[in-house]
Amino acid sequence: MTKRKDIAVIGYGETKITLRGGRSSYDLAGEVLEQIVNQTGIDPRQIDGLSIAETMSETANPFWGVFMCEQLGLSPTWMQVNGLGGASGTGGIARAAAAIRDGLCETVLVLASDAQSSARPTDQGAHRYEFMYPTGLRGPVGSFGLLTQRYRHQYRLKDEALAKLAVTQRRHALMNPNACDKLRVPLTEADYLNSKYVSEPLRMLDSVMVCDGANGVLVTSTANAKKLGAKKMIHPIGYGEITNFKGSEMLVDITESGFTVAGPKALAQAGMTPRDIRMIMPYDDFLIAILLTFEHVGFCGRGEGSEFILNTDLSYKGTLPLNTSGGQISAGQPGLAGGGLNLVEAVRQMFGEAGERQVSDPRNAMVTGIGVIPYGRNWGVSTVLILEQS
Amino acid sequence: MSEATPASKPEAKKIPRPLPRVNAYMDTRPFWQAANNGKLLIQYCKESGKPQWYPRPVSLATGRRNLEWREVCGRGKVYSWTVTYSAWPGHEDRVPYICALVELDEGVRMLANLLNVKGEDVKIGMPVQLCWERLSDEINYPAFEPVTPR
Repeated sequence: MTKRKDIAVIGYGETKITLRGGRSSYDLAGEVLEQIVNQTGIDPRQIDGLSIAETMSETANPFWGVFMCEQLGLSPTWMQVNGLGGASGTGGIARAAAAIRDGLCETVLVLASDAQSSARPTDQGAHRYEFMYPTGLRGPVGSFGLLTQRYRHQYRLKDEALAKLAVTQRRHALMNPNACDKLRVPLTEADYLNSKYVSEPLRMLDSVMVCDGANGVLVTSTANAKKLGAKKMIHPIGYGEITNFKGSEMLVDITESGFTVAGPKALAQAGMTPRDIRMIMPYDDFLIAILLTFEHVGFCGRGEGSEFILNTDLSYKGTLPLNTSGGQISAGQPGLAGGGLNLVEAVRQMFGEAGERQVSDPRNAMVTGIGVIPYGRNWGVSTVLILEQS
Repeated sequence: MSEATPASKPEAKKIPRPLPRVNAYMDTRPFWQAANNGKLLIQYCKESGKPQWYPRPVSLATGRRNLEWREVCGRGKVYSWTVTYSAWPGHEDRVPYICALVELDEGVRMLANLLNVKGEDVKIGMPVQLCWERLSDEINYPAFEPVTPR
């Protein structure tokens, strides 16, 4: 597929991220809609599409998407609930673009809202109760412990590279008023290295803290964006996705992710190489996921992630700004709305509205999504989205 | 990943180590019956001859349901492992405990606990053998331990 700019992102919204804030995912979503309405001046009745991420807090409710329409007063002619875990935001844009191109709707609210830290744990059934939970593997933390241990065996993993990621993102979070207050405290490399093991070799500071929050973007055709008089717009120009990478194979390399497929696909569609990427907003549930993203998308070779991180200025002033709002690890993970956090920051940067952490040349951005931990494999969903200014 | 990390509140009631929910998502009764007698079964695709684990409703090789259970030898190697210090709910009394992906000689990987070994003595590639943990009268749960010299 060749590069197109027929689809535009014309607005964004994001709540503050809170720990056990107690507000519902509907209430949080309302705040996002209001921000988008105020920012773009759109009449909500013109929003005829809803691409909404699944939640942890409302996942027991099979009518979540329709209830959300009811709560927000939307009457979409196309609605989709995206169950891609943390990849639902990037995947939600791709699906919205497809629906718009197919004439199913014209203007789509790509929404994610989750009050996970205020809700009961969900039931993620199937085989897990029989063959996973009885071992006591500590959920995503345990699975990333297995992944990290294996990576250390196959390649060279430098703890100081992970420490640099932790500190870089924390510095960014300190400049982000939407970041969870509990995380807005300075962090040093030593703090990271001294942080206790949760599931060795994974440390406490390798992983996210589950919070509450919501975010969203408004997507329409470029033609309609002009008709609406959109003041600012950026364009999705490349996208790749894969679920259950190498799913029919038994002895897969658990350090190898679907980014090896989704990354090159997105770049080819955008007509770019990794060198062309101006800033990167990778999905960061664990620090090592960022390292693997660099390797698998092609910023460096396999096993070279540590060196790449140590040799690249990843600050907002640097050559490859990384998760400039702090990422999920330092801003907090608003449940399954976590995938929208770095996405919204990319849009904010490209609109030139990132305040004191503004990147000087935000002409494009790569945003990635990761979803779901499978049994004995790398993560379940990989998405790579490339955005570019007009 | 955004998966549930159940909030562990200090006042929360202690829950016992969870027993597997047997036969819940597909028919796994042959597996548990054999396990109760100390035999470890995995699925095989009768057409392609390929083994698979965990049990699936179809052959991952063909998409058809032409499957059977076969006993495995119970030997394998550690593919990866992690020492859990912060327990998954219901496993508090066990910390620190080791979860591992064990690559069986037959060509599948099984998530299991490593018993009778300390974290500092585990190495990737280390040979291990099947052992069992009896969790109830009905449930004998597979685990692995370092191969003992004979």
